[in-house]
Amino acid sequence: MTGQWQEAMQLDELWEGEMAGVEVGGEKVLLMNIDGDVRAYRNRCPHQAWALDEGDFDGETLTCSRHLWVFDARSGSGVNPDNCRLTSFPCRVDEDGTIRVDVG
Amino acid sequence: MTTKRCVLVGGGVAAASAAAHLRKRGFDGDVVLVGEETAAPYERPPLSKEFLTGPPELVRPLTPDWYAANGVELRLGVRAVALDVAGRSVGLSTGERLGYDDLVLATGVRPRRLSGFDGEGVHYLRTAADAGRLRAELATARRIAILGAGFIGCEVAASATALGTQVTLFEPEPAPLARVLGAAIGAVLMDIHRERGVEIRPGEHVTALDRGRHGFVLTTSRGDRVEADLVVVGIGSVPNVELGQDAGLAVANGGLAVDEYGRTSAPHVYAAGDVAAQHHPRYGTRIRVEHHDTAVRQGANVAANLAGEVTPFEEAHWFWSDQYEHSLQSTGRMGAFDSVVLRGRLADRSFSAFSLVDGRIQGVISLNRPGDVLAARRMLFAPHEVTAEQLADESLPLKRLMPRTKTASRA
Repeated sequence: MTGQWQEAMQLDELWEGEMAGVEVGGEKVLLMNIDGDVRAYRNRCPHQAWALDEGDFDGETLTCSRHLWVFDARSGSGVNPDNCRLTSFPCRVDEDGTIRVDVG
Repeated sequence: MTTKRCVLVGGGVAAASAAAHLRKRGFDGDVVLVGEETAAPYERPPLSKEFLTGPPELVRPLTPDWYAANGVELRLGVRAVALDVAGRSVGLSTGERLGYDDLVLATGVRPRRLSGFDGEGVHYLRTAADAGRLRAELATARRIAILGAGFIGCEVAASATALGTQVTLFEPEPAPLARVLGAAIGAVLMDIHRERGVEIRPGEHVTALDRGRHGFVLTTSRGDRVEADLVVVGIGSVPNVELGQDAGLAVANGGLAVDEYGRTSAPHVYAAGDVAAQHHPRYGTRIRVEHHDTAVRQGANVAANLAGEVTPFEEAHWFWSDQYEHSLQSTGRMGAFDSVVLRGRLADRSFSAFSLVDGRIQGVISLNRPGDVLAARRMLFAPHEVTAEQLADESLPLKRLMPRTKTASRA
């Protein structure tokens, strides 16, 4: 089943430069606010599947706290190592500030 | 114009990282990776953890098809047996001689062996093959004895316990990992293992190993006799320097001496990873590090220098060790353990112990506070000034103490 925009969080709870781990439709999702743009990724590092919300987000890159893998927050692509990528989910922000995610 | 050939000796992550970064930096010559193991490069840290308790899958830095797709020739199951630095060639166990324009020695380390402790049922852990054998025998073992409470010993103890195996862990020092963590944090780790049912015997070592009818009988330095179905020996490692040393390369700190660019004492010969004793510009001294992350980063750095950059390796060292649900991490270099600044409480098992000298963080050891290590790692070589009170104050985010580089870079 696809195309289900499920409510994940309110935008005013996710400040710019912040990230949060939420659960949407049974899926662990990482929400990131990059200068006002919200992205949603599976909350698992592609390396060894540790949760990413305990990591460090400097506003541009996300570093997994477990083994220091680094990702570009906007694109989800690996920075170090660069041969990997976060799993992303479609994500939108409604006019009333509701962040919605489609986990498929 | 002739094609240059870069030969990487070693099948671990340092060599894999060098291969990946040679291509990333546009090196278009031949790249040959010679590895003694039959498996393509994989990460070793999971071998004492997830590989034993979960599916025995190897975590690979590069997919097996990456090598062919990027023109990197894998020579696996092949040992480099001789090095001729004047003739720029490596002799292989197959009898071939492989010429090179540049050579990277990433030969790693091997487990230190204990005389008389070998044969069936006695395990050393370094390779995927080692881990596969240990995994198979752990499945039926009821009691195991582990000699040495270092990283390997502690992590195997945690993994075996998770599998329901009774563990006796011998450590000549007063606490596990005491030399790395100091006595106080070592004692926290000791409590964690004991609560899980591991019988830790600090200050005691095994003096003899006898094979009984059903497994082993170990004699300890206190004269006790302990039974076990299998034995794991984790008493440190020996750098594989012989190939380089026999060719006349300089040796230091037990490893192959390299400068900040990864160059050994022989022209066109570099070294990276566990075997490399590298001059670190930030410390002004030679350091040999046996941790995964440094191996990966040194491999990348050597590749960059081979591809024409001139970049010293001056990154912070960092390691982790997962035991049970606990995450132990450290970065930088610790000074005296009796003067650390604690953030959090040892009793809560959520703390970071900082080494602070003249207002600068030198290093940190952290249990279950990986974010502190990330923050500290960024600060180590950046200008900063903090007080012990600030570090100890958990209400003050460490990020706040960091120099604001992001703002500066955008200006």
